[in-house]
Amino acid sequence: MWESFGFEFVNFYFIPGLVLGCIYALGAIGITLTFGILRFANFAHGEVMMTGAYVTWTIMAITGALFGWALHPLIAAIPSIFLMILVFFVVDRFFYKPFRKAPTIKVVMASFGMMLVIRSLVQILWGPNQITFVRGIAKPNGFIRELTGSLDMMILVPNKHFLIMAGTVVIVILLGYLLTSTRIGKAMRAVSDSPDLALVTGIDVEVVIRATWIVGGACAVAAGVFLAMDIQMLETTMGFRMLLPMFAAAILGGIGKPYGAVLGGLVIGLAEELSSYPWIGDSPLLSPGYKSGVAFSIMIVMLIVRPSGLFKGRTF
Amino acid sequence: MRKSIYSCIAALAVVSGANADVKVGNPMAMTGPIPDLVAPMALAVDLAEKHINEQGGMFASGEEYVIVRADSMCDPVASVDAVTKLINVSGVVGIVGPVCSGATIAQAESVAIPAGVVTLSVSASAPAISNMETGTDLMFRTAASDAYQGVALAELALANGLTDLSVSYANDDYNAGLAEVFAEHYAANGGKIHLNEAHEPNKASYRSEVATLGANTENLALFAYYGSGGITLMRNAMETAAFSTFLGADGMLAQEVIDQLGAENLGQATFTTSTSDESTHGYAMWKALATVAGLNPLGPFVPNSYDATFMMALAVEHAGSADRDLIATSLRAIANAPGEIILPGEWAKAKKILAAGGDIHYNGGSGPQDFDANGDVAGDFSASVVQDGAWVGKIIK
Amino acid sequence: MDQLIGYFLYFCSLLAVGGIYSLIALGLNVQWGFAGLFNVGIAGFVSIGAYTYALLTTDTSPLHYGGLGLPLAVGIVAAMIASGLISAIIGVICIRLRSDYLAIATIGIAEIIKLVLKNNSEITNGPRGINKIPRLWENFTEERFYNDWPMSWFASAETWQSIFSSLPRWWWQPCFALSIIIAVYVVYKLLEKLRLSPWGRMMTAIRENEPAAHAAGKNVTGRRIEAFILGSMIMGLAGAVLAMHLRLIEPTNTFDPSKLTFLVWVMLIAGGSGNNRGAILGSFLIWVIWSASEIVINVGIDVIGDFTNIHVGILSTRAGYLRMLLIGLLLQYILQKYPLGILPESRPTASSKT
Repeated sequence: MWESFGFEFVNFYFIPGLVLGCIYALGAIGITLTFGILRFANFAHGEVMMTGAYVTWTIMAITGALFGWALHPLIAAIPSIFLMILVFFVVDRFFYKPFRKAPTIKVVMASFGMMLVIRSLVQILWGPNQITFVRGIAKPNGFIRELTGSLDMMILVPNKHFLIMAGTVVIVILLGYLLTSTRIGKAMRAVSDSPDLALVTGIDVEVVIRATWIVGGACAVAAGVFLAMDIQMLETTMGFRMLLPMFAAAILGGIGKPYGAVLGGLVIGLAEELSSYPWIGDSPLLSPGYKSGVAFSIMIVMLIVRPSGLFKGRTF
Repeated sequence: MRKSIYSCIAALAVVSGANADVKVGNPMAMTGPIPDLVAPMALAVDLAEKHINEQGGMFASGEEYVIVRADSMCDPVASVDAVTKLINVSGVVGIVGPVCSGATIAQAESVAIPAGVVTLSVSASAPAISNMETGTDLMFRTAASDAYQGVALAELALANGLTDLSVSYANDDYNAGLAEVFAEHYAANGGKIHLNEAHEPNKASYRSEVATLGANTENLALFAYYGSGGITLMRNAMETAAFSTFLGADGMLAQEVIDQLGAENLGQATFTTSTSDESTHGYAMWKALATVAGLNPLGPFVPNSYDATFMMALAVEHAGSADRDLIATSLRAIANAPGEIILPGEWAKAKKILAAGGDIHYNGGSGPQDFDANGDVAGDFSASVVQDGAWVGKIIK
Repeated sequence: MDQLIGYFLYFCSLLAVGGIYSLIALGLNVQWGFAGLFNVGIAGFVSIGAYTYALLTTDTSPLHYGGLGLPLAVGIVAAMIASGLISAIIGVICIRLRSDYLAIATIGIAEIIKLVLKNNSEITNGPRGINKIPRLWENFTEERFYNDWPMSWFASAETWQSIFSSLPRWWWQPCFALSIIIAVYVVYKLLEKLRLSPWGRMMTAIRENEPAAHAAGKNVTGRRIEAFILGSMIMGLAGAVLAMHLRLIEPTNTFDPSKLTFLVWVMLIAGGSGNNRGAILGSFLIWVIWSASEIVINVGIDVIGDFTNIHVGILSTRAGYLRMLLIGLLLQYILQKYPLGILPESRPTASSKT
């Protein structure tokens, strides 16, 4: 192990938990907005994350081959975001819109179906094999290591984790600005809190819906690219396996509350990683075989004890 | 609606109409949890099919040897359905496959054995398969049971001077079984296991379990599929230098591991797989064929897939007709001594010998492939390390 | 002749598996169609039924607990009871949750059930699963059954052996398929009776207008839990039959929600939710499409391979994904074109007797 002079907990458990939590948080933002404004659990969200990452890689590969540029993933993510938002619009128009007035189960089933369709398309187009996103091993950032070392601490953070956490902070701040200070943001919050009242005040729900897809799509692609940066590879199930913890995060934070989703994501990410810490004795507190169960258990407890979540969101 | 029913019937007729071929069923986990592992295996099966058809086909009439591929999805439900179709609709003479132990046992017990059809699995390694049958002899495999490889790996660990280690295994049928045999044998022979934990495949981060497992030791025995979390776990371990030495089995032996993690970081990684003694011609022959075809000769279960396909064809040729009841005896006859040695790719030679009524003994790229009473193969194992950016194996004696 | 027998046996397997899915769909219909409960944790209840049956009826084995070798009937009943019990516990905790929430909670519960089954290897043999599960009708040919009562009452072991060797080796397959169809029929009849009974009509009232039902003094929560338990028991039965059909069950892939749970929901929605006949129709229809699509796509690949230069190997790798894509698109089409399903729900009319 890298020597961390007593800071094992921080470096090997806490920070990884935060990083995982950031990715969950970004994905959960889109889910909670869709849940709150469009009133359904969008099961295709994970696939959009995954596709966003694949498209980003493709853009990087193409520009690399054609122009010899080595684009940073976060730069290549921007055109990818535009593309995925377009995909969201198309999917909404053809597969979700017909069910706006229908019982919820119809649109949830449609999103199940979209999940399969999108994932299969990616598998057909890009193949089922994994694709290397970034080669090699990311060593801890030397500058931070020396800095903290001289201060009698030891923080070991590879650059990619730094970027992920910083990126998440930036996105959350931007999101906060959007929701509190812009007209469309306030309209989104209005529709999420009380759709009938929002209609009465003359808010155009379709515009709000489009805004939801835009914000949700951007966060989803960001989450997907961050995930790809973290695991340094692409594969077709990477979105789906993040989906249920992201739902858990959204529910934990309160449906329709983006800040709640961020907090929920961080809590779940931390809980998952901290469950393997040897709190008692030498072995992990919870067998890592049950790691997936951590998010679900938190979610179920939340649903029973306080369905409105930490930030008192919608309860349907 | 009616039109689609008619076209379905037409499709069935087309599928079954071509009776002049020798059809062999090949259920593989094309979709499911390990598609990247299975894709080269499928290519190896196709390669064997190609060699056979190029060198004269089946029987004196030169009938085509046709591999009918189906998707078993590594899932008992899908494999039972796929093999039902292969046996009943496509009328195959034998089954080469499936890949996963669960799928193999399910389709064998549910469909193949009741129908009297031979199953020759390419990679199912569960010990339970050895004693599966009572009264029938229809279950064979070209991959050694975990009961052998786990022991070989434990002995390798001790021989390499790893007196203590931690074990982490992916909680699926292949890796969990291997880990259990390994841990038992390793501990019984003086090794110290600090922690032995399962992990869920396909997670995004294993950092915390790696940290806990690596707190007291430098060595990790890792049982996982590279594509289902194995690479991620190794990467997490290397990022924090939690472990310096890695040991594992087939599931991790892939070029992807080198491509993604970087050869420079894999200095202390050793992975085993079943193999032929390189000093025998079986492996050398296979390596040459695989290289020409662009396949990795050491890919997990890739040579086993080639061998199984080739052996099934040899068995049918030996039996003289596509009669399901004769295949089991013929399979034993061509795989075991006595007989003239046949190596991978030597179809024309084998055909000539069989036509003259002689006996053959196939030695494959993944081992001598001699079946014991249970239809299992023992065989040797090789330990591979990274040299010049590729895995290079050395047989374990 | 052999080819015809082959088609017949494939047909029997379609009936058998279609029947199993019908049972699951009927159970789901009790929960969704009667009581409006959005249960997406179907895989969990089916797996409980399957494992209970397997643990009770298999022979002793060093790999897992149980292996009590109990009669099949005991195993089946126990499967239903186990599913019912677990669903009772879950129901009491979760029944108040609204649709989307219940959906997500039930998914989470099914995942937890799967993890428990996987990680308790001493009991369940973990990811390796339990094999040699006895199958109805086929088990008669197994030694441990014909050597023991009640078969030994009727004839000696040798007599049985000679009887079985005179039958064609596939004799039990149509019997098995027929038994499943009979089970489906019996369950269907019972559920129809239930639907037309006062209990059934109260469920419809609760589903359509819960506040009114409350106001009329009905114990809404109690009724909902009843429906949940009944549906789960039927799913447990289906799980036991699935275990029989596969003869091996394991926790990771056999009960894969994206195939089991998702397919059953598609079957119910396509067939007509709220309608028991629709559930059965949807199950057979979707299963036949699912199974036969592999044949059709393989033929298509051969045709494409013959006419173009694309290597068949590459196509067949992608074929599985193409199948998924088509099923996903088919679902979208059905959802939009047949919003009520192919057989919409039929309500008892006002003139039918109470």
